[in-house]
Amino acid sequence: MNLRTLLREALATAWASKVPSALVCLITAAMCIMTISTVGRTAAAEDQVAQRINSAGARELVVTDKKSAGLISASLIAMAANFSVSDRAVGLSSPVDVKNTVIGDGAEPVPAWAVTGELESAVRLESGRYPGPGEALVSTTALAKLGLQHPVGVVGIADREIPVDYAIVGSYMPLEPFDNLSQGVVFKAPPGSTATNLHLILSDSSQAAAAQRSVIGLFGQLNDPEAISVRSPLQLAQLHDEIVGDLGAFGRSMLYGSLGIGALLVAVVVFADILVRRKDLGRRRALGAKRNDIVQLMLLRTLIPAVAGALAGMSVGLGITMSTGTAPPLAFCFGVVVLALFAAGASTLVPAAYAAHSDPVKVLRTP
Amino acid sequence: MSVLSVKDLGFRYTKDGEELFGGLSYEFTPGKVTALTGPSGRGKSTLLYVLGLMLTPSRGEVILHDQPQSMAADAIRSKVRAHQLGFVFQDSSLDPSRTIIDSVIEPTIYAGVDRQVALDRAALLLEQLGVAARSDHKPGQISGGQAQRVAVARALINDPSVILADEPTGNLDPANAASVLDIFCEAAAAKQRTIVIATHDPYVISRADEVLEL
Repeated sequence: MNLRTLLREALATAWASKVPSALVCLITAAMCIMTISTVGRTAAAEDQVAQRINSAGARELVVTDKKSAGLISASLIAMAANFSVSDRAVGLSSPVDVKNTVIGDGAEPVPAWAVTGELESAVRLESGRYPGPGEALVSTTALAKLGLQHPVGVVGIADREIPVDYAIVGSYMPLEPFDNLSQGVVFKAPPGSTATNLHLILSDSSQAAAAQRSVIGLFGQLNDPEAISVRSPLQLAQLHDEIVGDLGAFGRSMLYGSLGIGALLVAVVVFADILVRRKDLGRRRALGAKRNDIVQLMLLRTLIPAVAGALAGMSVGLGITMSTGTAPPLAFCFGVVVLALFAAGASTLVPAAYAAHSDPVKVLRTP
Repeated sequence: MSVLSVKDLGFRYTKDGEELFGGLSYEFTPGKVTALTGPSGRGKSTLLYVLGLMLTPSRGEVILHDQPQSMAADAIRSKVRAHQLGFVFQDSSLDPSRTIIDSVIEPTIYAGVDRQVALDRAALLLEQLGVAARSDHKPGQISGGQAQRVAVARALINDPSVILADEPTGNLDPANAASVLDIFCEAAAAKQRTIVIATHDPYVISRADEVLEL
């Protein structure tokens, strides 16, 4: 039989066997609804947990030069930034107070940080340009505190005997996870200076252990083991792995369970349909249908209502999960449809093979 | 050239069961109606299904157009059934979900005949057999005699050289039985078809050109 004829025959047979077709449709729909509303919700929850755990704040590894011994140099920061697991790395000094020099002593102080490394790794330019030596950027929220309407002016370090002034050349918004920079001023650290903190943002929190080993390795053999402290997302990464692993195992067992039960039910329905329609299959064999024709016919005749059921089940499952705000991605839903159809098809093969190999004479001579 | 013959034929339903036909050798004459007859249990219907390549003999061969076919692969036997054999069953065995014309063209699906060509042939056959007016009906809406004529049309649709009929008049009244036998006799004479009818009905036996008693 060619495909067109096979499709026409399968449609006619599916329509003629309305009850089995409706049952196959319902079972496949139930498979998809159950899988999407349980496994899909689990997958969506897993995704949300992973996203939260994998936010930039949770991927931040901070090394502090506790005794300001000049351990965090520009070259060390550049090396950390070049790690394969590194998204970006910058060094920050301890903050110092700066004031608007035009207002003078009565001005409100705001914190200022010297940034070692690329400024673009810590802040996003909102207006103006990135600063050169002797220049600074002011955060949009610190503008008012400094008494500025526009990011133009001069700030000076308040408590130095010899004042150091910085011309403001633009404004910025801090990038995640440098939210603490939102209240002040940043400027490029002068050449040869060192930072107090190294902030290494990892590309993936699961790489925390490897990154921590590599960063500590950069410091070589320290005479004083207390000279640096490390704040690492290692535990968070382990927690992430555990949660994702547990949710994944739960999701897989639910998926296999619903597909398995669904496939079994489809097989029972198809087998019952074959027993009821055995005379029909025997007649087809007598009139020249090959065994292969019978298998293909039974397969397609099951898949037609299964496709309708799977698509309807996907729509209902998506509707349920959307109403609770835990809708899984569309690709996952189509994946479930494909798996449900595969399960329905695979479970049809055994009864179809039984039908194809049944003795047509015995069937035809049975009243 | 022989159309249908059997040589040294034997058949057992089970390995240790009684052998039927006892090494039967017979050549069916083309253009003639042959009645297979004999007491119940002697294997009339079984021989018909062996001739139709639906059962495999325990010994011997069924030879169709000088080609031994009994031991051929299932796909080949199915192809031979679709192209060279026509079946008529006792109860007509029409698909209750198909219309009459769709039932008639069913064997053409397996023979790979174009649907429109098949529909044209079916319309002509139904016209010749006097059931054209019922072509859009379902089998449940026609009489037993009409159903058996439709079954004959279905057997003729692929223009087979052999028609095998299992008690085709068993459920019919005498008038309808005579009418169906007329059709068989015409089908045999018109195209030199070999027609084999398994029956125990004396009237059918009396109308047959040849009788093979088992």
